[in-house]
Amino acid sequence: MTAILAAYPTLFRIALATMIQYRVSGLIWMIGSVLEPVIFLVVWSVAARSAGGSVGGMDPHDFAAYYMLVLVVNHLTFSWITEIFQYRIQYGMLSFQLLRPLHPIHQDVADNVAYKLVNLIVIAPALAVCWFLFEPRFPVAWSLPYAVLALPMGFAARFLLDWSVALVAFWTTRVMAVNRIYYAILWFTSGRMAPIALLPGVLRPLAHALPFYYALAFPVELALGRLTPAEVWRGFAMQVLWVGVGALIITTVWRAALRRFTAVGT
Amino acid sequence: MSEAAIVVARLSKTYVVPVRGGGLAAALKSLVRRKTRTVEAVREVDFTVAAGEVVGFLGPNGAGKTTTLKMLSGLLYPTSGEARVLGYTPHRRDKAYLRQMTLVMGQRNQLIWDIPVMDSLERNRAIYRMPRETFQRTLAELRELLDIGELLDKPVRNLSLGERMKCELAVALLHRPRVLFLDEPTIGLDVTMQRRIRTFIAEYNRRTGATVLLTSHYMADVEALCRRVIVIHHGRLLFDGELTELVKRFSPHKLIAVELAQDGVDLARYGDVIATDGGRITLRIPKADTARVTSRILSELAVIDLTVEDPPIEEAIAQVFEQAAT
Amino acid sequence: MAWLRLFAVFTRIGALNELAYRVNFAVQALESVVAASTVLGAVAVVFSQTDRLGDWQVWELVALIGVYFLVLGMINLVLAPSMAKFMEDVQQGTLDFTLTKPEDAQVLVSVSQVQVWKVIDILVGVGLLAVAIHRLGDTLGVLEASAFVVTLLAGAAIVYSLWIMLATLTFWFIRIENILMVFWNVYIAGRWPVTIYPGWLRLLLTVVVPIAFAVTVPAEAISGRLSALTLLSSVGLAVVMLIVSRWFWRFGLKRYSGASA
Repeated sequence: MTAILAAYPTLFRIALATMIQYRVSGLIWMIGSVLEPVIFLVVWSVAARSAGGSVGGMDPHDFAAYYMLVLVVNHLTFSWITEIFQYRIQYGMLSFQLLRPLHPIHQDVADNVAYKLVNLIVIAPALAVCWFLFEPRFPVAWSLPYAVLALPMGFAARFLLDWSVALVAFWTTRVMAVNRIYYAILWFTSGRMAPIALLPGVLRPLAHALPFYYALAFPVELALGRLTPAEVWRGFAMQVLWVGVGALIITTVWRAALRRFTAVGT
Repeated sequence: MSEAAIVVARLSKTYVVPVRGGGLAAALKSLVRRKTRTVEAVREVDFTVAAGEVVGFLGPNGAGKTTTLKMLSGLLYPTSGEARVLGYTPHRRDKAYLRQMTLVMGQRNQLIWDIPVMDSLERNRAIYRMPRETFQRTLAELRELLDIGELLDKPVRNLSLGERMKCELAVALLHRPRVLFLDEPTIGLDVTMQRRIRTFIAEYNRRTGATVLLTSHYMADVEALCRRVIVIHHGRLLFDGELTELVKRFSPHKLIAVELAQDGVDLARYGDVIATDGGRITLRIPKADTARVTSRILSELAVIDLTVEDPPIEEAIAQVFEQAAT
Repeated sequence: MAWLRLFAVFTRIGALNELAYRVNFAVQALESVVAASTVLGAVAVVFSQTDRLGDWQVWELVALIGVYFLVLGMINLVLAPSMAKFMEDVQQGTLDFTLTKPEDAQVLVSVSQVQVWKVIDILVGVGLLAVAIHRLGDTLGVLEASAFVVTLLAGAAIVYSLWIMLATLTFWFIRIENILMVFWNVYIAGRWPVTIYPGWLRLLLTVVVPIAFAVTVPAEAISGRLSALTLLSSVGLAVVMLIVSRWFWRFGLKRYSGASA
C-alpha cells in the first residue's frame, strides 16, 4: 500500500508534464465546461424574468451564484474516464499497463488531478467575468466549511463510479450507448442542468438517491447554506456509501474484466 | 544444466471470428445471420527454454508467434495446455512475475509521446519501485550500451523510428528483467540500426544472463542472435533445434560458387546456374551430388576458385513450411 | 453536379461499412433518442417553472431543437467525418491519394466519409419540427416555409464554410485536430434561442462560431418572427463565406502541393 502511494508523486509529476503539453486541447475542453453553466445561468435568469422575477425562490442573482459554484465544483469533481477507456483497450495501451505491476487506476487519478490543476488557470478568470457580468448573490453560509469538506469525497464517489461504468468497455464496443445514458441521468440528477429544487416532482427523490448529486449539487448547496443540519449529515453519509459502492464494484468487476480481456486479447 | 526458464506444454489458443463476403447483398445478409469461423492460432505447442538462452521464433505472418508471446507474457490466457515462465503462470499476472519479465513490440511503444524520454524512464522507475541508486546504475549502463545519452531529453515524438526503438528498449529493460519477449523488435528499421539493436541484445544477454525469446522476419536477426530456432506455421511447431541443424536437415541444395579462368563457359550440365557475375558463376545442385559435381568441375575445367556454400536460410525455412503442408 | 454523384458513391461505401456492424443502427437510434430526450427534458424542466422563455413559447423552442438536431445530423452525416479523415490524411501523408484523383479535391475531401446512421439525427430533427409545426398550427404559410428552407440552406453553407476553413488550417498547423472541438463545445449553445443570450455571447455565436445563423435563424423562420434583414444577412453571409472558404482552400492546397514536392 505504501509502495503504491510512493509512486504517486512521480505519476503526478509526469501527468502534469503531459497535461501541460496538451494545454491547447485542455483549453478547448474548458470552453465547454465554462460555457454550459453560463448558458443555464442565462436561461434560468431569462425564465425567472419571464415568470415575474423569480422561479422556485431564485432570482437571476441567485442563479448566478448557483451556477458559478457549479462551474467550480464540477471542475473539481468531474471525471472523463468513461470517454477514453475503450480507446485504451483498442489501441493497445491497456496491454502495456497490464504488463506493469501497478493497477491502471492510479495513473488515472494522477491524470485527473493534474488536468484540474493545470486548468484552474481558466476557472479563475471565468469566475471573475461571471462575477462582473451577472452580479451573483452569495449568502453568508454557516455550512461553507462543510462544502470544502464535501469535495474530496464527492470527487472520490464520482471517480470510482465513473471508473466502474468504464469497465463496460471490456464487454462491448458499444460503450457510447452506455455512456450517453449514464451521462443523461447524471446531467439531470447532479444539479448541473437545474437546481434540484426546480426539478419536477419525481426527479427530486431520484436525485437524492443517486450518487451524482453528492459530487456536485451537495457541495454547492452547502456553500449556499441551503441545507438543514440533518440534510448535511445525510449527505456525508451518502457520500461514504457511494464511495464504498464504487470501490466494491471496481474490485469485483476488475478481475472479471481482466479474465475477459486475456481471453480475447486486443 | 541450467534450469528451465520457460516451459510450454501442449499450449493452444483458439479464436472465433466473424466472416462475411463483400458487396451490399452479403452485408445485408450478415445483419440477419452471423457466420463465424474458428481460428486455431496456436496448436499444441511444446518447448522448453533454459535460462540464459536466446531463442528465435520463426514463421510467416499469422503463424502464431505473437499469440504465443502474448500468452507467455500474460496478456492472453491459453485455451488449453500449460505455460510456465520462471515458475509462474503468466496469465495470473502475479506482480512478482511482472517485475521479472518484459515485452517489447516492434512499432508499438510504451513511451509517453509528448514528453521527454527521461520522464517515461522515471515513470517505470516509480512503478517498478526501483531504488534511486539501482535506477541510476542501470540507466547509466543502458545509456552507454544503447548510445541514447542525447535522446533522453527529447520528447518521444521528435525521435526517429530507430531512436524510438532504442529508447523503448531502455524503458523496457530498466527493471532488469530476467526474461525478455521481443516481438519483431527490428521491424521497419534501417540496416545499420538493426545491426546495432542486434548487438545490444546479444550484449545484454551476455552481461545479465537474461533469457530471450525473439520473433523476427529478418533472417539476419536470427542468424546473428540465435543458436536455437523454433519454427511455427499455422500454429504448429514444425522445428525446434539448432539453426545449423535446420539448414542441414531441410535445405535440399548446396551452392557452388566457381571462378573460371575462361569467360562464357556454360555450366548448365553440372547443375542449375542461378547467378552469373562476370567470371564468377553460382550453381545450385542437390546436396547429395556435392562431392561428385565438385570433383567433375575441378577435373574438367580450369578453375581459379571454388567454394561450397549453404543456400540462404530462407530456403531451408521455406522447405520446412512446404514439407508441413504436404 | 459532381458533388452529388460523389456523395452517392461515398454513401454506398459508408453503407457497406456500417452494415458490417449490425448493431450500429440500434446504437445510433438509442443515442439519438437519449440526446433528444435530454435536450427536450431540459426544456420541459424550464417550462415547468415558466410558460415563456423571453418571447419564445414552448413549441417554438421545440421547433428550434428540431432545427438543432437537423443541422447536427447533417454535420455528423458527412461533414464531420470527412473533415476528420482529411485532417488525418494530411498528418499521415495520405492526402496524395485524394489529390491524384480526377475530381476537385475540395469536393472529394468534403464528402469522402458518410456515416449513414447519422441520418437518424436528421429524422429526429424533422420529426420534432413536424410536431412543433403542427402545434403552432396556423402561423406557418408558404412564405414562412420558403424562408425556412432558404435560411436552413444558408446556415448549412455557413457552417460548411467555417468547417472547411478550419480544416484548411491543417495545411499549416498539422496538429490542429482539436480545433473542431471548439465548434462542438460552442454548438451546445444552439439548443436555446441565441436571442436570449447577453450581447457579448450573442455576438460570439453570430460572428465567431455562427450558430445563430445555423440554428436560431431557421427556427425564427418557422415561428414567423424572421425579419427580412436577418434573412438577407444570412444569405449574404453564406455567399461571402462560400467564396472566401473556397479561395482559402485553394490557397492552402497550392502551398501544400508545392511544399511536399
